[in-house]
This record gives sequence, C-alpha cells and structure tokens, in this order.
Amino acid sequence: MDSELLGRILDVLSRYVFNVANLQGMLRLSTPVVLAGLCALITDRAGILNIAGEGMILFGAWFAVAGSFFFHSALVGVAAAILSGLVVGGLFALFSLKFRAHIIIMGIAINIFGNAATIFLTRAVFKQAGAFADPRIVGLGPIHIPILKDIPILGPLLSGYTAIVYLSWILVALTFVFLYRTPWGFHLRAVGEHPEAAATLGINVQAIRFGAVMASGVFAALAGVYLSLGHLQMFTEQMAAGRGFIGMAVNTFGAGEPVGVLLSSFLFGLVDTIGWRLQGERIMPVYFVSMVPYITTLVALTIYTVRQQRRRKVIASR
Amino acid sequence: MSSLGGLNTPLQPKAARGDELRRKLRGAFQRSIRIILSILASMVVGSLVMLWYKQNPIQVYTWLFQGAFGSQRAIFISLQRATPLIFTALASMLAFRTGVFNVGVEGQFFIGAIAGTFVGYAFRLPAIIHLPLVLLVSFLAGAAWAYIPTIMRQKLGVSEIITTIMTNYIATFLISYLTNYPMRGTPTTPETPFIQPTAKLAQFVELPGGLGKGSQAHVGIFIAIALVLVLWFILKYTTIGYEWRMAGMSSRFSQFAGINMDRVFILGMLVSGGIAGLGGAVEIIGVWRKYKDLFATGFGFRGNLAALLGRNTVFGSFIAALFYGSMEAGALGLEWSAGLPRQLIDIAVGLIVFFMAAEGMWDFVATRKGWSLSGLLRRSSGKPQAQGG
Repeated sequence: MDSELLGRILDVLSRYVFNVANLQGMLRLSTPVVLAGLCALITDRAGILNIAGEGMILFGAWFAVAGSFFFHSALVGVAAAILSGLVVGGLFALFSLKFRAHIIIMGIAINIFGNAATIFLTRAVFKQAGAFADPRIVGLGPIHIPILKDIPILGPLLSGYTAIVYLSWILVALTFVFLYRTPWGFHLRAVGEHPEAAATLGINVQAIRFGAVMASGVFAALAGVYLSLGHLQMFTEQMAAGRGFIGMAVNTFGAGEPVGVLLSSFLFGLVDTIGWRLQGERIMPVYFVSMVPYITTLVALTIYTVRQQRRRKVIASR
Repeated sequence: MSSLGGLNTPLQPKAARGDELRRKLRGAFQRSIRIILSILASMVVGSLVMLWYKQNPIQVYTWLFQGAFGSQRAIFISLQRATPLIFTALASMLAFRTGVFNVGVEGQFFIGAIAGTFVGYAFRLPAIIHLPLVLLVSFLAGAAWAYIPTIMRQKLGVSEIITTIMTNYIATFLISYLTNYPMRGTPTTPETPFIQPTAKLAQFVELPGGLGKGSQAHVGIFIAIALVLVLWFILKYTTIGYEWRMAGMSSRFSQFAGINMDRVFILGMLVSGGIAGLGGAVEIIGVWRKYKDLFATGFGFRGNLAALLGRNTVFGSFIAALFYGSMEAGALGLEWSAGLPRQLIDIAVGLIVFFMAAEGMWDFVATRKGWSLSGLLRRSSGKPQAQGG
C-alpha cells in the first residue's frame, strides 16, 4: 500500500472517527444505551426476556423531570425516577412472575402503557403537549474532575460529563462484581442457566427473578434520567426513541457480559455520532448508518447461537 | 371425562342437545367473564384518573361511547380506526396460534405499506389489475420481511422475539431512507407521490350515497372481513389450519404425529407477515393515498394486544380489534369535546391487558370465591401440584 493512500485513510479516520469531539459524542450518546443494556442484561442473566425497557425508561424520564420541577432539586428528580423504576419493575414482576401473565405481552403492554401514561401525565400535570421544558427544572450539572480536567486530550475526553455518565460506568463495574464475586450473583446466574437445578439447590428462583426485574427497572429509570435531566432539562413525548430495544441489542451483542455491554454501547454511540457527521457533510444518508447496529446484532446473534449449538453438539457427542 | 360426554351426545336426542348448548354457553360465559371483569376493573381505574382530572366519569364514558357509536360519522371513524388493527390482530393471532411470537408485525405492516405505495404510484394499469397487484405485492413484501427472523428461528434456533424487534427498526430506517430520497415526491416533506386513482380503495364518502361524511372509512374493511372468514375457514377446515393449531398446542406432539414442523412454522410466520403487510397497504391506499414518513406507529403492537384480548381466536381478534378501534375513535371525540388526552385509551387498554393476562390473579380470585361459596367444588383450581409433590 502506498503511503499516499495510507495518509488519506488516516486523514479520513481522524476527521470522521477518532477525534475528541466524536469520542465525546460517543460517550454522551452511549450512556443511556449502557444503562438500557444493563436493564436487559440483569433480566437476561436471570432467564427473563424483558422487553419493557422502553416503557420503564419513559417513566423514569418523566418522574425525573417531575421530581426536579416540584422540589427544585435534581437529586429529588433522580430519587423519584428510581422510585418509579422500582414500582414499574415491581408491578411487571408481580404480574408476570406471580400472576403468570405472558411476559412478552406484559412487556408490550407496559411499553404502550408507559408511552400513553407519560403523554397523559404531561398534559394533565404540566398542561403541555409534545414536550415540557421549564427553567425551574434543575438539571444534573457537569462534573469537572480535578487534576484530570487540566490534562490536554484526556481532560475534555473524560471530564465534564453529568453524574449519570460516570454512574453508568460505575454500575457496569458493580454489575460485574455482583455477578461474579457475590453469592447473590452466583444464584442469579444459576437461575438464568438452569432454574430447575437452582431450585433443587434451595435457591429461591422467584425471589431472585423478582429482584432482577426490579433492578432492571432502576437501570432503565436512570437511562430515563439521563435523557430528561442530562443535557436539556425537558421531557419530550416518546423520548426513549427505541433505547429500551437498543439495550436488548447491546446486551445480545455484548454476549450478556457487563463489559461487553459497555463496549458494544460505545460502538453504538460511535456509529451514531459518525452517522450524524456523515449526514451533516452530505456523504451518506444517516439512515443506513443507523441501521448498522441492528443488522450487526442480527449477525452477531446468528454467530453466537450457531457456535453455542455446535458446542452443545460436541459435548453431546463425547 | 368430558370427552365421554361428548361421545354420548349424538345418541341422545333433544334433552342432551339442550345440555350441550347450555354447556357451550356456559363455557363462552366463563371465557368472557374474565375480559368483562378486566374491562370493568380498567374502567374503575380510569374513573379514578378522571376524578383526579376533575371530570365526571359517567359523563366522560358517555362521551367516549358517543364518540365511538353515537352517530353515523362516529361509527365510520370507528371502522376506519379498526381496519388496520383487524389485519395486525389477525396476523398476530395466526403467529401466536402456531406458537411463534411475532413481535415483528409492526415492521411487516409498514414494509407492506411502503411496497404497496410504490406499486400504487409507479405503475399505470387498469384498476382491475392495479388494485390486486398492490395487495399481492404488499402481502409478499410483508412475508419477505418476516422471512429472515423465521429462517433464523427455524434453522438456527435464534429467538424470534429479538430478531423481529431488530427487523422492526431496520424497517423504520429503510422506510425513512426511501421516503427521504428515492421515493420522495415533494421537496418540502419526506413523503411519496400520491398513488394512481386506479390503486385506490374507495372511501365511503367517495361512493354514491356519500355515507360516513367526516370520516375516512374505506371499503378496505370488507377485505378485512373477508380475511376473517378465510382465516376462520382455513384454521377450521383445512389440513394446514389443523397443523397450525396442533403446532401451537404442542410442537413435540405434532412432530410425533408426523407433522413437518419446519414447513408448518415457516408457512405460518410468512402468512402472518403477509397479512400484516396487506394491512399496511390497505391503510395507505384507503386512507392516506401516499406514504408520509413516520405517519403512524404502533399498529403492530396494538394488534399484538388485540389478539391477546381476543384470546387468540379469529373472531375474538376481529372483535377485539373493532373494540380497540372504536375506543380510539371515542377517545378522539373526547379530545375534541372535553380536552382529555386521547392517550387515555391506550392506558385503558394497557390496564385491561394487565388484568386479562394475569392468569394467576384470576386463580387467586377463583379460589377465594370457591373458598367462600363452595369449598369442595373449586378446590381443584388452587394448587393441585403442590399437594402431589
């Protein structure tokens, strides 16, 4: 390869992919996806197919704005959102686990319900249609990390985000520790892999799953907080914009591992940023770039399943 | 034991036949009692919300009812809102019956719609060829969109739920691209050109007689009704219908019985996708007459819920879709007259589904009732397994 071509490739890469603005955009756009991914992960590892993330995110976003608006405190907003996550998650768990409602039907119902309820509440409480923004909503300000913020490239790259961004990274680490370093995590994985065997060992399958669904509600609610209090302090109808489902994609793509979820969320964020860039420079319609993560997930899912089956066949033939 | 009773009936004349009818009626009643109670429970919750909104619930329900059925116009708006839902409900029902969870009805609906739109505006043909061609292409497009998840499930064992959710999003972006670039009709908005007159389904207002003024109800409702009858016939009287039903009940049993499961599942899912696609095209050529990017969402998911409300039967899904559509129409009326957000109806249906779907809650209610009324009779519905183990 001649050096001229290489130079051009490097030029394109640095212009469109690896520059500070893009990486900042990547981290920003990936945060709600990381949290939605954890929401999918924690239920997935407990053997539950939770497609209600979308509705849970909307509730979280709405209650974050409501709490912040009425109490003039972003912290109260976050607390209200977490509470809403616990309640919605609890109801979802109650109906699907205890009352044996079909979990997919329940998920669809919560998504439709959450969308309608948040629109309704915006009109009923704030007397606004479409979106609600108000100077009295206190947002989560940026956090400037001392020392780090003064280092050239690393400073702008890693400092100055809202607390939820850092919280999402901490939660990834905590989820990892929980899954692999605590007895509760061990039980959760056992329940997900073989519920009957776990029950035989005296693990309370229902209780573990209940807890997992409620935790997923909290993760989703935090994703909602980021959307409504992160950059702009406002609630917009349907502001989840599919992130609940993207979370499922990220979890699948990341093979159900916390670190995998983080990395594939970054990938999603990067693709998103580049997509907007290419659209802005009229190189390529954004829609094709937006499609990439979903197609990639389909491919990854296929490879993953086929490999799993082959492994199972090998084990069976021994 | 009940099957023995069934065997005896042909030998016994009148009295037994009356018994049979009574038993059937009682069965139907028992099956519908749950949905009636669910609707009542949801109405109670709805009333609380309305009181909080400082509205008189009885007045609001009256408005809702008037908005859905109160005038000729209201009835036609109800029909218009119900038409696409009938298609998506039937598509969901068919998939559920064969044991496939087709969450992709949403995407298949819109893919069928855009394919139908393309055939509708790009070709100049006599109506007698054009209209069937639009419907055929949209059916095939919906089926094709369902093909990838189906094959992934059947050949590789990948859960159809995640794959259909992914294909829904791919459909959304694909359509946004198509309406923004190659199929764009006007420079100002992302929408296709109007379809040819030969590809239109007539709205009732456009027909002589001018029924349904102020609504966009169209003759596509007859296609929906025809589809209901065809599906009912297929499920009840044909081999493939029998195989679909058996596959849904127990795939392992069906396999032992010599049914080719691959063929049954794949065909079921493809026809389901096709019906969804057909519904999309009917909505476009009946109501909108062009494809405007993101003109609506949620037809598929609402159809999923309607199929559940209809207990996965052909006529049940049909009635549930009509119910959902007319309630939407009623809610539109509410928004115009009382300023209540129309989302109220999605909240209400969501609540009905919560109550309906919760098998265990009803067991609980049944055992409680049995406990107080006749302890011995209802014991069986409690927890028999726990005693045995």
